[in-house]
Parts: sequence; structure tokens; C-alpha cells
Amino acid sequence: MDIPFWGAKNLSTGRRPVTSPVLNLANINKSYAALQAARDISLSVERGQIHALIGPNGAGKTTLINQIYGSETPDSGSVFLNGENITGLSVPKRVRKGIGRSFQISNVLTDFAVIENAIIAEQARRDEAFRFFRPAFSDQDLIAGAMIVLERVGLQARADDLVSDLAHGECRLLELALALSGTPSLLLLDEPMAGAGPEETMYMTRVIESMRENVGILLIEHDMDAVFRLADVITVLVEGQIIASGEPDEIRANRNVLAAYLGDEG
Amino acid sequence: MDFFRLLLAGVREQRMLFGLMAGFALFPAYTAYADLPFWNDVAMRIMLLGMAAMGLNLILGYGGMVSFGHAAFVGIGAYCAGISQFYGLYNGWAHLALSLGVCGILGLVIGFLALRTSGIYFIMITLAFAQMLFFLFVSLEQYGGDDGMSIDRAEFVLFDLYDPLRLYYLIWSTLLIISVVLLFLVRSRFGVVLQATKNNESRVEALGLSPLGFKVTGYVISAMICGVAGTLFASWQEYVSPDIMHWSRSGELMIIIILGGLATLAGPLLGAVVFLLLEEFLPELLYLIAPDYAENWMIIFGPIMIFVVLFARGGLIGWISRFGAQRIYRQGDGR
Repeated sequence: MDIPFWGAKNLSTGRRPVTSPVLNLANINKSYAALQAARDISLSVERGQIHALIGPNGAGKTTLINQIYGSETPDSGSVFLNGENITGLSVPKRVRKGIGRSFQISNVLTDFAVIENAIIAEQARRDEAFRFFRPAFSDQDLIAGAMIVLERVGLQARADDLVSDLAHGECRLLELALALSGTPSLLLLDEPMAGAGPEETMYMTRVIESMRENVGILLIEHDMDAVFRLADVITVLVEGQIIASGEPDEIRANRNVLAAYLGDEG
Repeated sequence: MDFFRLLLAGVREQRMLFGLMAGFALFPAYTAYADLPFWNDVAMRIMLLGMAAMGLNLILGYGGMVSFGHAAFVGIGAYCAGISQFYGLYNGWAHLALSLGVCGILGLVIGFLALRTSGIYFIMITLAFAQMLFFLFVSLEQYGGDDGMSIDRAEFVLFDLYDPLRLYYLIWSTLLIISVVLLFLVRSRFGVVLQATKNNESRVEALGLSPLGFKVTGYVISAMICGVAGTLFASWQEYVSPDIMHWSRSGELMIIIILGGLATLAGPLLGAVVFLLLEEFLPELLYLIAPDYAENWMIIFGPIMIFVVLFARGGLIGWISRFGAQRIYRQGDGR
């Protein structure tokens, strides 16, 4: 399947210079009772950059992404999106400001057809959801927009199928398409390859690569081949703390990381 | 005409709905021919209960919000007519406008508060609000309290409701309007998001939409439809009492919806037909077998209900059409 080139048109209209970070975390702290899930975490993601977050289970990776996404709030510290402090905003508001997200466990509208998922995403993007008259699922304009959403991940052939009939990998792709539908500036991908076979992982890697150009991507992934292939920067999180951050080669050579994490992989 | 093209787009559900409506339109001709005027009364009651159930189904079936207190809005609608008449306002249009306004505002307040919770808590909090309103009207001695108040049929300026057929067709046309409104509503951009919140709220959030706004809006619309049904119910019954908003009435509405088919347009109406016919005939049937127990017709209705829930997923509509009732609205999308 061809990997479509993902819409460059929005790049030129960006309000900020390309070099400013899309995401900036400043001294994030978060704890649950005795468990400290984030200790003074600061990191940034640039536009066009894939920033991988790795670490053993329970290191606080998903918690960190949740705090960026807005489903959890940090005890202290701030989240900046394109230079704007979004720490206090709700999830839908953050999404509208430019965050797209895929979840660890596929999170799509399972009772609906693939295209219907994309149509709802498309009308959300256009801010047209509060309309009460014309049928949404037969609106040619929305269908056209939704097809573009699906083409980005190569799912257009399955448009009319029910989500419940999709294979696991296709479900992950649909979720990715939905995350991209709002033309986000920051993409949070929580283990997009989890549960996928080798071929699906290869395909997913190429899809993610094809869309890096216009967004900053924060990627949690356990598949180290994919991580080292995709990431420009890797941050290693252990027990809520950043123990190393740098380019893939640095991380590969870092003793602490080897001891804490990569060593397990052999 | 775009309107009619969209109205008629689609197959199964609309056909069933408009078929039922056509049946109700012609029914008085049959009762006149067979000299059974009593059955006009039953048909009106069916349409009114069907109307209220359709309103509730918008949030129960399409929105997945199990409101256990919607009879309260039916009651408020009825009291809008009753209390207006108490103060000398007999204009039916004014009653309807008042009912829409009051139920809208009340729906907004209750919906906004109740929808902060979900699941069992939502069921309980809606029931609590309904009980509050029930006992409020029980305690209002001025308006008859427990005993309720007798009222006249409202005046609808252009036609006099004491001709029973005029009331019949007023109810019929209101039901038709509400059906068409709902038909468009559930397929609209708003409607599909409402159904998406039922399926997966966190995905709706992840698309940048706030589920609460959609759910509250659905709740308000549903409350207003129940209010209209209540206002007309008052004219039909010529009597208003708190009994109309008793919690068991809310349960009845839910039974009608589940019997007919959740998240279908024709379901609540079909459910009302079957429910009220059973209510009419089961006691007679039971009287033949065991005269002493005739009033306990629920003994037979209960097992029927269990049978429907277990074996006819999607209610009678789903059973008849053998299609997943939830997805019927999609078939006419012309994709």
C-alpha cells in the first residue's frame, strides 16, 4: 500500500516559527499516595520531531501522556502547547488547540462503520457538530473529508466496514487516522504497535514516518526496533524520573539505560 | 424538494414509523364504521404514551442515558395545562408554549446536574429529582394535591376539542411532527455525536467534543417532548394529578421503549401499541381463566417482557426486521 503524503498545506500558516517547540513540559510532578509517577519532568518536542518515551512498565509513561492530554492534572508544573500554557484546560479544549492522541488500548467507535468514525471526526474538526437537520452520514462534503482522513493511513478500502469487523492492526490505523483528523500540531501515540504482527508494525512505522513532517510526535513504544528506527530523540523514564535523554546513539551507549531497561531486552 | 427526499431516504424504520402513523390516521374511520368509539380513546392514549416514550428514547436509546424520572416531565407538561386553567388561561397553544419552556428549563437544570454522574448514580439522581417533583405536587393543596384537579379540554382557537376527532387529530399531528423532528435529529450531526457518546465517551472527547454538551442538549429536547405529551394528555384525560408523574409511570415508559426497540424511531410507538393492547386484553383473558386474579395482568406481562428482553434483542422492531435495530437508521444513507 502507498503511504500518502500528509497535508503540507497547514505548515505555512503556523503561527509560530518552525523552530519553537510544539510541546514543552516544565517541572511536572505527579504522585498517587506513595507512588511518585512523575518527578520534576521537563522535556520538549519540536515540530517535525519524533520524541520516543521508553522505560519499563510502571515507569509513568502513560501517566505523563495523560497529563499532556488533560485526562490527569499534574500536582505541580506546567504544560505548554505551542508556547501557550494549557495546564488547566479540559481534554476537548486541548484537542481543539492541537493535540491528537491514540490510546494504549484501541479507542474507536466500535458500533459504527469505519467511515462513520471518520465522518464524526471530520465534523468535529470543522466545528459543525451542533447541527440538527441534515443527515451527517450521507453528507457528500463530510464523506469527502472523511475519505481524506482514511487515506492518510490507507484504510479507504475498508470505509464501509464496521469497526467490529476490523483486524486489530486496522483498528490501530483507524485510531491513528482519527488522531490525525483534527490536523494536530502534537501527536501523542501510546504504544501504537502493541499487539501488532511484524508486518503490521512495519506498515505502522512507515505511516508514522510519513506524517512526522508537520507535527511533533511523542511516542511510547516497547518495540525497540521501531523506536530506534523512528525516534530523533529518546527519553528514558524510570520510576517517574528521566534517567537519560538524547539521540538514539547516545541512549544506546548509556550505561544507566542499559542497566535499567535495555539490558532486559538482551 | 430536499426536505421530502431526506424524509423518505431510508427504508425499514421510516416505513414502519409512517406505516404506524398511517394506521392511526385511518383508525377513526374504522371505529366509526364498527361503532367502537371507545377505541378512539385507547388509540389516543397509545399515541400520547408513544410520544412520551419517543422523547425518552432519544436519550435512553440513542444517548444511552437511563433516566428513571421522565414521567416527571410528562407531569409538568400536564400541570402546565392544569395550573394555567386554574388561573383562567384556556388557550391550548399557550399551554404548549409554557410546557415547552418550563420543561426545557427544568430539563436543562436537572440534566446539567444529573449528567455529571453516570451509570447507576445517574439512574438514582434522575429518580430522586422525579420523586421531588412528585411530592411537590402532592403537597400543593391549592392545585388539588393528592387528588389532582379536574380541568377542561384546552381551547385551540381555530378548533374546538370537544369534538373528539379534533383532539384525536391534534394528537396525531403533534406525534407526526415529533416523529419527523426526531427522524432528522437522530441522523443529524448532533444525533450521530449523541450516539457516539453512548458508544465511547472518551473517543468523543479525543475528537475535541465535550460529551456533556451533547448529552444535556439531548436531555433537554427529550424533556420538552415529554412535556408536550403531558400537556395533550391533560386535555385527553380532562384531569391532572400527581399520579401521572409517579415513578412507576417512568418505569412504564422504559418498558414501552425496551419492548418496542431501543434506539429505533418506530420502536416506542410500536411498544406503546403492544403494551396498551396487552393492558387492555390481558385482564379480560385472565378473567376467563382465573376471575379472581384478573387485575394482576402483570403476572402474564412479566414473562412476556422477559421473553422479549432475552430473545428479541432490539425489541419487537429488531425482532420483526431481524436487523440490528441500532443500525437501521444507516441503511438509507445512500452510500
